[in-house]
Amino acid sequence: MTSPPTPSIEPLRHALPADTERGPHHYAIDGAEPVAGFAPNDRAEVALLLRTATALGLAVAPQAGRTALRAGRPLEAYHVALDLRGLHRIVEYVPDDLTVTVEAGMSLRALQDELAEHGQYLPVDPAPDDHVTVGGLLATARSGAWRGHLPGARDLVLGIEAVLPSGDRIKSGGRVVKNVTGYDLHRMHTGALGAFGVIVEASFKVAPRPAATATLAASEGHLDAACALARRAWDAALPVRAITVLTSETARRLDVSSAPTVIVELAGSRAAVERSTADLAAIGPFTDASPAAWPHLRRLQGDPHATVLRAGVPPSALTAMLDATRGLDVLAWANVASGAVVMHGRDLDAAAVRGLRAAAEARGGFLQVEGAPAALRREVDPGGPGDLALVTALRDRFDPTRTLNRGRWGAGL
Amino acid sequence: MTTTSGAARPARGPERRPPYEALARDLRAALGEAHVLDAPEDLVGFEYDATIERARPDVVVFPRTTAEVAAAVRIANQHEVPIVPRGSGTGLSGGAVPVRGGMLVVLTRMNSIVEVSPDDRVAVVQPGVINLHLQEALAPHGLTYAPDPSSQRVCTIGGNVANNSGGPHTLAHGSTVNHVLALEVVLPDGRVARFGSRVPDALGIDLRGLLVGSEGTLGIVTEATLRLVRMPPAVRTLLAIFESVEAASHAVSDVIRRGIIPVAMEMLDREIIRIVEPRIHAGYPLDAGAVLLIEVEGVPEGVALDAQIVEDACRHAGAREVRSASEAAERERLWEGRKAAIGAIGGAAPAFYLLDGVVPRTRLPEVMARVMALSAEHGFRCANVFHAGDGNLHPNIMFDPAEEHATDRVLALGEAIMRVCVEAGGSITGEHGVGLEKRSYMDWVFTPADLAAMHVVRDAFGGRERFNPCKVLPGGHGCASGHAAEVVRHLAGGVYV
Repeated sequence: MTSPPTPSIEPLRHALPADTERGPHHYAIDGAEPVAGFAPNDRAEVALLLRTATALGLAVAPQAGRTALRAGRPLEAYHVALDLRGLHRIVEYVPDDLTVTVEAGMSLRALQDELAEHGQYLPVDPAPDDHVTVGGLLATARSGAWRGHLPGARDLVLGIEAVLPSGDRIKSGGRVVKNVTGYDLHRMHTGALGAFGVIVEASFKVAPRPAATATLAASEGHLDAACALARRAWDAALPVRAITVLTSETARRLDVSSAPTVIVELAGSRAAVERSTADLAAIGPFTDASPAAWPHLRRLQGDPHATVLRAGVPPSALTAMLDATRGLDVLAWANVASGAVVMHGRDLDAAAVRGLRAAAEARGGFLQVEGAPAALRREVDPGGPGDLALVTALRDRFDPTRTLNRGRWGAGL
Repeated sequence: MTTTSGAARPARGPERRPPYEALARDLRAALGEAHVLDAPEDLVGFEYDATIERARPDVVVFPRTTAEVAAAVRIANQHEVPIVPRGSGTGLSGGAVPVRGGMLVVLTRMNSIVEVSPDDRVAVVQPGVINLHLQEALAPHGLTYAPDPSSQRVCTIGGNVANNSGGPHTLAHGSTVNHVLALEVVLPDGRVARFGSRVPDALGIDLRGLLVGSEGTLGIVTEATLRLVRMPPAVRTLLAIFESVEAASHAVSDVIRRGIIPVAMEMLDREIIRIVEPRIHAGYPLDAGAVLLIEVEGVPEGVALDAQIVEDACRHAGAREVRSASEAAERERLWEGRKAAIGAIGGAAPAFYLLDGVVPRTRLPEVMARVMALSAEHGFRCANVFHAGDGNLHPNIMFDPAEEHATDRVLALGEAIMRVCVEAGGSITGEHGVGLEKRSYMDWVFTPADLAAMHVVRDAFGGRERFNPCKVLPGGHGCASGHAAEVVRHLAGGVYV
């Protein structure tokens, strides 16, 4: 591949404090190192970096936890790594309001620790684990087994501050739990992989930690039966936080069973969990299981060495989508309420991905490549931007020089 | 918003321009004779929504299909006239008022429930479906669509999407945006586009989440795919009676502090209780300072426990009595007073101005005290019925428009109350929208850079000048400067409220 000559980053070095520069070897993406890395100490420095980089025509890739850099198309150019881990402070936390405002480079783990002191949490379970940063959580909008039972990051975000490629700092939303003032730009930024700006602060609605949780599992002879059982569990309207169907291969990997298995996580008051445990036992052969299955699934979904696909299909099509993985060397599981079928494989080729995508689309769904080697993401569309005309129009206005994540959403985008 | 019970007054609006006749002719050719109105006597009913603002459209169209909406938009573009979408006209911020005339697109004929899928827990509806009609269609399946604005008997799903509407049950279930999975939209250039999917977290950039709540300025919703939830096995409604709003406000925070998020926590203050109770007989004590309606749901054992915790918190905060109902009829009766409250004010005062502001829940005691003090200072009675759990205030300022300068004084008080909300860390609207009414307050909460970014979005969608002009964002070609100035101008014409 030939690239245009790299513009000089010297003016950037002059603009930013010397202590913010980091060695480029820390920041390789898809095997390519940038010319330089910078880790600003605050959002004013982020703004300075972006303003300068845009003026110079540099391509910048924002990052922090580095857990989702194998998503989207491989970058078309990569001159500067913008490391946001220096922005890791809690700005405001009012436990009685169930709201928290934090800087985007803070890890979910640090945030959860803080919230736990007041018996609260941000109810999200993104892959691979709580090393995901708040900014990464929003930029990717990734969700896990809780999605559908609990709101996703895009529902919990109350407002953000973002730095635009121009260096302008903008806010949308606010810190209150109910607010319809102005356009919800924070929702547009959520899941946009940094297409319109770099999120530097976010406010969230948080939730009380459930007093009790319990994980139960039930195995069935066939995948069909497991899916039907999962469906009955969902229809029982119990206080569940997750209902996931594991193929027999996945159940074996998790050391849960060697047959297709439904795992359920109950969460609520002790009384509600006890009652629901009994209700589940009446629905199917549910018995207590290890909660370790959940973090294991998260790690698999965020496996940096595998190809991970997520199909979104209507809940009625989950069995068919899981069936479509037969014959492929993949671990697959389905989160019933969100219609997500996650597939984890080592050696999936483009033809296999296209076949799975066709299976999802035939059922009114879609397929996204959540993580894969660059070669595969060049060969198959990892998942387009949506309405190309509108996204291009927005990108042309917010980032005309394509400073941020150049090419992530497609050629020239 | 202001509720009107007075006589009609002449609407403002641009002088009719000659091309409007050609516009009407082209629209008739596309939509049929019966579905295009342009006679002045037919246009009068479409001058207003539920606010004080009035303006007459040049032409009103009633499309039945997405293709007809798209055709009408393209025709209006050829004639270079403004385009304004409208549902039932229950909006509370002037969003459907055609301030610069042009074509009003009334979506009430697009009222089909296209699909209810219990298997996928989704409903697909046209924008003119009435919120309550959808609920009625879902009930036999044991399903419900969570957003329940108080106007649900008349408001449309399209209007709910445009305004990101809330309701009492927003506290646990979230606003409309959390329940919209996908949208079909006619964009300002007439192109039909789809956003989102039948399941959450669709591929690509989330323009669905941006479109919800954009108040008809970025496109016209022609179909919505909605997420449904199972009806809970058990529900319990509690009515807690307090000596003061302050004590009730403390109870709200105390419930949350104990780790319970009820599905609803609604407050009525003394003023509203005295208006509602004699008319509705919901059983609210006339000497109470405030009542809280609290609802919890789930499996029976969990509900019983949660209800006990709620009751303890209320008593701890000074509730003198806590009543509880789990049977549907009893619960309905407790809710009756809340649901009828706004209507009852209409019978108790010649006019009232309903405000919508939002503050952090913990600031409620001081903010409510400030609201009452300001009302007294300005010489008005103020009745409060609101979503306390969300910190979403709805002060109703009662007044007599016949009194001199009444409306100016009411608006001044409304503005002062909005200031209090913003200064407490809140915002200028929790669920009614910015529309026309609050455009001039936008710079209280947003910087010029924030607003510029919103203008950029509007520009990218292509509707800046003619698609629901003069709404949400300040400025705009041919738009008046803002709420107060606009309203004062209309007062000269007459009447209201």
